[in-house]
Amino acid sequence: MSTAVMSAVAESAEQRAALRSARIRAVIFLLFTLASFSAASAAGAKEAIFSFWIDKIGGKDIILTFPIAVPWLISGAISGAIATLQFLRGASFRWRAAIGIAAPFYAVATVGALLDGTAANLTVLFTGTLNYAAPVAIGSLAGIISERSGVLNIAIEGKFLLGALAGAVASSLFGVAIAGPIAGLLIGAAVGLLLAVLGLRYKVDQIVAGTIINIGALGITNFLYLRVLQRYPDLNQPVNIDPVTIPVLSDIPVIGNIFFNLSPYFYVAVLLVGFFTYAIFKTRWGLRLRASGEQPSAAGTVGVDVIKLRYRSMILAGALAGFAGSYLALSGTGGFGMGISSGRGFIALAALIFGAWHPVYAFGAALIFGFADATQTLLSILGVGLPPQVLLAVPYVMTIIVVAGLIGRVRGPASAGRPYEQG
Amino acid sequence: MRLELREITKQFPGVLANDRVSIAVDKGEVLGLLGENGAGKTTLMNILSGLYRPDSGAILIDGTERVFRDPAEAIAAGIGMVHQHFMLVPVFDVIESVALGAEPTTGPLGTFDRATARKQIIELSERYGLAVDPDAKIENLPVGVRQRVEILKALYRKSDILVLDEPSAVLTPQETEELFEIIRGLAKAGTSVIFITHKLNEVLAVADRITVLRRGAVAGNTTPSKADASSLAEMMVGREVQLTVSRGASKPGKPILQVQAMNVLDGRGGVAVHEASFEVHAGEILAVAGVQGNGQTELVEALTGLRPIDSGSLILDGNHLEGGSPRHIADAGVAHIPEDRSRDGMIKGMTVAENYVLNAYHRPPFSTGGRLDLKAIAARATQAVKDFDVRTPSIDTDIASLSGGNQQKVIVAREFGRDVRLVVAAQPTRGLDVGSIEYIHHRIVEQRDAGAAVLIVSTELDEVLALGDRVAVMYEGRIVGILDAKDATRERVGLLMGGAVA
Ligand SMILES: Nc1ncnc2c1ncn2[C@@H]1O[C@H](COP(=O)(O)OP(=O)(O)O)[C@@H](O)[C@H]1O
Ligand SMILES: [Mg+2]
Repeated sequence: MSTAVMSAVAESAEQRAALRSARIRAVIFLLFTLASFSAASAAGAKEAIFSFWIDKIGGKDIILTFPIAVPWLISGAISGAIATLQFLRGASFRWRAAIGIAAPFYAVATVGALLDGTAANLTVLFTGTLNYAAPVAIGSLAGIISERSGVLNIAIEGKFLLGALAGAVASSLFGVAIAGPIAGLLIGAAVGLLLAVLGLRYKVDQIVAGTIINIGALGITNFLYLRVLQRYPDLNQPVNIDPVTIPVLSDIPVIGNIFFNLSPYFYVAVLLVGFFTYAIFKTRWGLRLRASGEQPSAAGTVGVDVIKLRYRSMILAGALAGFAGSYLALSGTGGFGMGISSGRGFIALAALIFGAWHPVYAFGAALIFGFADATQTLLSILGVGLPPQVLLAVPYVMTIIVVAGLIGRVRGPASAGRPYEQG
Repeated sequence: MRLELREITKQFPGVLANDRVSIAVDKGEVLGLLGENGAGKTTLMNILSGLYRPDSGAILIDGTERVFRDPAEAIAAGIGMVHQHFMLVPVFDVIESVALGAEPTTGPLGTFDRATARKQIIELSERYGLAVDPDAKIENLPVGVRQRVEILKALYRKSDILVLDEPSAVLTPQETEELFEIIRGLAKAGTSVIFITHKLNEVLAVADRITVLRRGAVAGNTTPSKADASSLAEMMVGREVQLTVSRGASKPGKPILQVQAMNVLDGRGGVAVHEASFEVHAGEILAVAGVQGNGQTELVEALTGLRPIDSGSLILDGNHLEGGSPRHIADAGVAHIPEDRSRDGMIKGMTVAENYVLNAYHRPPFSTGGRLDLKAIAARATQAVKDFDVRTPSIDTDIASLSGGNQQKVIVAREFGRDVRLVVAAQPTRGLDVGSIEYIHHRIVEQRDAGAAVLIVSTELDEVLALGDRVAVMYEGRIVGILDAKDATRERVGLLMGGAVA
C-alpha cells in the first residue's frame, strides 16, 4: 500500500514519464510534418485523379483532379499544428482526437501517392473502410466491456468464427434475414458464458482459456464446414443482409453513396458505440463495471456482486462478438467459409488497445485499420503499388508501437485477468 | 444503536481465528479492540461486515438478531467499515469512490447523478470536518486523505456503526491525532465506533471501553481509566512483556557503511531516493523512520544490490560496492532481512533446511564441486533451528507452513549465520506476534553488540525509537533529518515524517 508521500513520489515519476511520452509524440508529429512537406515537394505537379459515384454505385461519376501535393501540404500543416500543441500542452493534450482530424487528409494523400497518377474511383474505398470497421468496432466493444469488468478477452476471433457459422446456418435454415444475427448473438453469448465459467469459477488462466476458444473455434468451424456444409450446401445459403438505403440522406451527392448506403451492421455499430460509451462512463452500471475491473475489492466491499457482474459482462461481450461475427457470413460473402474471420478478431483486440479501452477511440482505430485494408484491396485491383502485406501489417505495427508504451502508456483495467475471491 | 456480537466462532483451515468472541458497543461509544497480529481482529470485523459467515454465534443490532450474507446487507443495516487495506479505486475521483455501490441515479438508463452525490459529499465533509476535494483522483491523494475518503464512504451510507481496522498504521503521529479528533466528533454525533489497533497508547487515548483479543478469544474487557499500557500488554500477550528493548549504550566504532549522494530510480521514470548520504558505524543501530513508500524500500534494495544505484557511492569497509550483485554484496558481509518476507526472504515450497542455506549452498561446507552435501546442510540447519528457537516439526518441513514469526527466525538464522559486517533489516517484525518481535529485536541488538553496523528500516515509530541509536527520517525519497536517540522524540520524528523541515 502506498502512503502520502509514496504517491507524491510516484506521482511525479508518472508525470515525468507522461511528459516524456508527450515529447516523443510531439517529435513523431513533427517528423510527420516534415515527411508530408517533403512528399509534397517530391510530388511536384503530379496530379491525382479521383472519382466518386454521384448517385449510385456504377452510375454517373464526378472526377476530381488535383495536385497530390495539395493533400500533403494540408496534412503537413495539420501535423505541424498538432506537434506544436503537443509540445505546448504536454501530457494533457488529446492526441487521439487530433489524429482523428489529420487522418482523412493523410488518407487522401497516401492513396494519391500510392496510385501515382492512376485514375481511381474512391467511393468503394470509403464504403469498404466503413464496412470493414463495423464488425471490428463491435468486436472491440465486446473486448472493452469484458476487460473493463476485469476479465481478459482474447477470444474475439473465435467468437467471430462461431458467430459467422451459426449465422450462416440459422439464416439458411429459417430463411429470414434476422435469424442470422440472432443466432450469432446467441452462440456468442454461450461462448462468453463458457469463458466466464472457465475463468471465474474454475479460475483457468484467462489467456489460456481464450486461446483454447480461438483454436477450438477454428477447428470446429473448419470441421463443420468440410463435413457438414459442403455435403449439405443448403445449410450455407444464408439470406444476405443487404446495404440499407437511408431515405433523403442517401440522395446527397457523393456523400450519400458513401455514408448512407451501408450494411445495417455499420449503423448498429455506430449506435452500439454511442450507447456503450454513455453507459460505461455515465451510468451506475458503468461505474460498477469499471470499479470491478480496476479494484474489485473496492466494489465487493460496498456490496457490488463482482462475480455476477463479471458473468453478465462476459455474456454481453460474447453476444456482441458473436453478432459481429455473423456479419462476416451474411454480407454478400456467399455464406460461411473456412477461416472467414481472417484475423479480424485480433484486429479488434488491436483496436481496443490502440483505443485505450474507450469505445469511440477503438472505433477510430477500426476505421484506420479498415482504411489500410480497403486501400490494399483497391491497389491490388488496380494492380499498382506496394506488396499487399505492407498495408495489412498496419494494425499490428501500430499496436506494437502503442503496447511498447513509446507514445504514451495505455493503461488497461488494473485487475483484468485476475481472479477475484469474494469472501 | 447498540451492536452486539455474541459468541462468534470462525475456523480457518488450521486456525481458530475467532473462538466464541463477544463484544458490544453502544450508541455514541468508542470501543477499542486491541490485539496483536493474528489475534483475529480483522476476521471478526469481516464477519460483521458480511464478508465472512461465522461458523456459529450471532450478530445483534438493538437486541434483534441479524444475518449478513454479503456486504450489501451489512451496509444496509448501518455498518460502515474502513478496511485495513483501503478499498478504493485509484483511477476514480472522490465522488465516484464515495458513491460507488450507493449511487444516486436519474433517467431510465440509471445515469449516475454526480451533482447530487457531490452535494451530499461536500455536506458530509463539512459537517464532520473531513476536508477533501471531491473532484481529486484517489491515486493523487496522500494516504491520510484517502482514509478520510474511506470514512466518508461509510458516512455516505448513513452508517450508525463505524469500524476502523488498524487505521493508524499508515499515518504519522500527528495525522493519528487528527483522526482521533474525527472519531471523537463522530461519537459525539451519535455514531458508534469500533477502533482496532495493536498499539496500546492508541486505545488508551481514544476508547471509552476496551476489549482485548488474544489468539482468537476475548482476553478481557476494561476501560482506559482502569488500565495502563503494561496491564493491557499483559492482557494482550498473556504474560508480562517488556515494553522497551533492553540494550546497553552503543559504542560506535569506525564507519562500516558509507553512503554518499546516492540516487536510486524507482523504475517508472522517477527518482525514489534523492541524494542520500549517511554513515553507519560499527556497534550502532541507525533506524530509518518514515511513512511507508517514501523511498525506504528502494534504499534497502540499492544497499543490497537488488536495485541499481543511479549515482553516488556505496562503500562498505572502505570498498566500493556500487554495481555489485546481491551475492557479491552478501559475501562482503551484508545480512539482509527483507521487507516482504514471503517474496524476497524465502522460497515457499522449499524446506526449512533448504531455505536456511539459500545464501551459502554454493560454498563449502554445503557443496563441493557443484554437489550439495545434504548431510552438512542437515547438520547445520538442525543446529540453527535449535539456536534460533524455530518452532518447526522438522528441518524438512515446508517453510510456508510455519507461522510468520518462525519463518522470520529462519531468515534471521540464515543471515546471521556467518560473519556479519552490516545488517540491513527492513520491517523485521512486521506482522509478528510480540514473542517473536522481542526475540528478533534481541538478536539484532546482539549483532550490534558484536560490532556489526545495523540499519533498520521501520514504519513503526515505536520500533524506531526502541532500537535506534540514531534515527534517520525519510520523506519523499530524501533523508530529511538524522537525530541522536536522545533528541528523537515521538513529536520531532513524527513531524519529520510528515515532511516538516528539521
Ligand atoms: N482467509 C483466511 N484463510 C485462512 N486463514 C486466515 C484467513 N484470514 C485470516 N486467517 C488467519 O486467522 C488468524 C487471524 O487473522 P486476522 O483476523 O487477520 O488477525 P488480526 O487482524 O488480529 O491481525 C491468523 O492466524 C490468520 O493467519
Ligand atoms: Mg488485521
